[in-house]
Amino acid sequence: MSAILRISHLDKFFGRLHVLRDISLDVNRSEVICIIGRSGSGKSTLLRCINFLEEPSAGEIEVEGLVARAGAKGKEHRELIHAIRLKTGMVFQEFNLFPHMSVLENVTEGPITVKKMVKAKAIELAEMNLDRVGLLEKKNEYPNRISGGQKQRVAIARALAMEPRVMLFDEPTSALDPELIGEVLTVMKKLAKEGMTMLVVTHEMGFARDVADRVIILGEGNIVEQGPPSEIFSNPKHDQTKALIERYRSAEN
Amino acid sequence: MEQTGKEKSLADQLYEAQLRKKRLFNTNVTISWVVLLLFLLYLFSGTSFNIGNLEFKTITLDGEFIRENLSFVASGIWVTIGISFLSIAFAIILALFAALGRLSKFPPVFALSTFYVSLIRGTPLYLQIMFFFLALPQVGIRLPGFWAGVFALSLNYGAYMSEIFRAGISSVGKGQREAALAIGMTQNQVMGRIVIPQALRFAIPPTGNEFIAMLKDSALVSITGFVHELMWRAVKVGRATFHNLEALIMAAIFYWIMTIIFSYFQNKLEARMARGER
Repeated sequence: MSAILRISHLDKFFGRLHVLRDISLDVNRSEVICIIGRSGSGKSTLLRCINFLEEPSAGEIEVEGLVARAGAKGKEHRELIHAIRLKTGMVFQEFNLFPHMSVLENVTEGPITVKKMVKAKAIELAEMNLDRVGLLEKKNEYPNRISGGQKQRVAIARALAMEPRVMLFDEPTSALDPELIGEVLTVMKKLAKEGMTMLVVTHEMGFARDVADRVIILGEGNIVEQGPPSEIFSNPKHDQTKALIERYRSAEN
Repeated sequence: MEQTGKEKSLADQLYEAQLRKKRLFNTNVTISWVVLLLFLLYLFSGTSFNIGNLEFKTITLDGEFIRENLSFVASGIWVTIGISFLSIAFAIILALFAALGRLSKFPPVFALSTFYVSLIRGTPLYLQIMFFFLALPQVGIRLPGFWAGVFALSLNYGAYMSEIFRAGISSVGKGQREAALAIGMTQNQVMGRIVIPQALRFAIPPTGNEFIAMLKDSALVSITGFVHELMWRAVKVGRATFHNLEALIMAAIFYWIMTIIFSYFQNKLEARMARGER
């Protein structure tokens, strides 16, 4: 299997705080990776470094052969980042839908503005993706008129409309009321089944167990442990992993 | 509905008492307004009254003068509104650029913005109008009074309103920018498509307030002597026959009515904006 995304020797500092320490990670095509860890372990930062929403302090990000190096400057670097952002879709904890646009416009915005797609084609694409997340009938609503779970599904459709090769999910269900989490996870499961490459930062252990091909435990900016969920959950090797899983277990009960 | 007054729940009773109190307050305010207005009218009615042996006379206005000059003064309303509309439009553009400059990380642009705002806020509007009209001809730039007024008002209000737009732009969350960047937008696209449209929504109600203030500040343009707006007309007819009292009262009434009308729409707009975060 060839890696579609390759993170090499990634370091990130916030001021003097060393958030990510020499992280290297290869993600294979169609692989679903769940990243779990305590808050402050650097898991969101890791995700945000991939599409350069955070500028890495050192290291390289490679997406389908495009290599962006930390600290590079200039037009070429900016174009590389832009190309990487086109290949990656991102879903945020707080949805970040554009409140001044309808659901449909949220989804057509990227294809029209960024890809210069003709409007009719963009609408067709948007409707197809809204249908994928089961929200076609809400296309004329505004974001403040739909539920949190629906917002997040629209956000997923917005990312999908850019036809990314890798989807990055940054705690997609953490801002949701418990009864709305299921509908978002269902959409994500469907995507995984369709063969989408996914990196998911999450606290949803059930999702990680059922859907992930690989689980990565992050602690203090290091990859503490990684492996298939069956192994990680039933036979954790590292103390941090054990503690983390124990805590989730007791929270679930 | 079988409920009688006695059987009403406590919550209903309290709520109704609250409503009654609020209604009573509003009624009393309205009555007081009418009384004040009537008193003002009486003050200018020209009638006389006695207290004991003393005779008092209220102020007499020359009705014939008012009738003769009403339409002349009133026709200045359109010039006043015209100046205000043009100036607010230019001011919005200036304010937007000044706000963007103020948020820029590029030192010369930041400096230009703060320099402009400081200079304009540090000098009187009156001086700025005179400067455009009287001082610029000395360096070969002759502006008609109307445009001197519009440019001065635009520059002045642009500087003050830049703060409104800065607040508007700052009110758009970081997550909005990130979401836009993540789908591949350039910085300019993020600004033009995501940030500024939302900032403008935020800035519409306060801009309405600025427009209402501008209606009255536009009176200063009359000092050029070449812009036949409301104030200029009132002063002209008043001075000619020494009827300044009548003339200025006429102008005052027109300004007041305009302000009431625009404030009404402003309040409606504000309420609408507050309701729907669309």
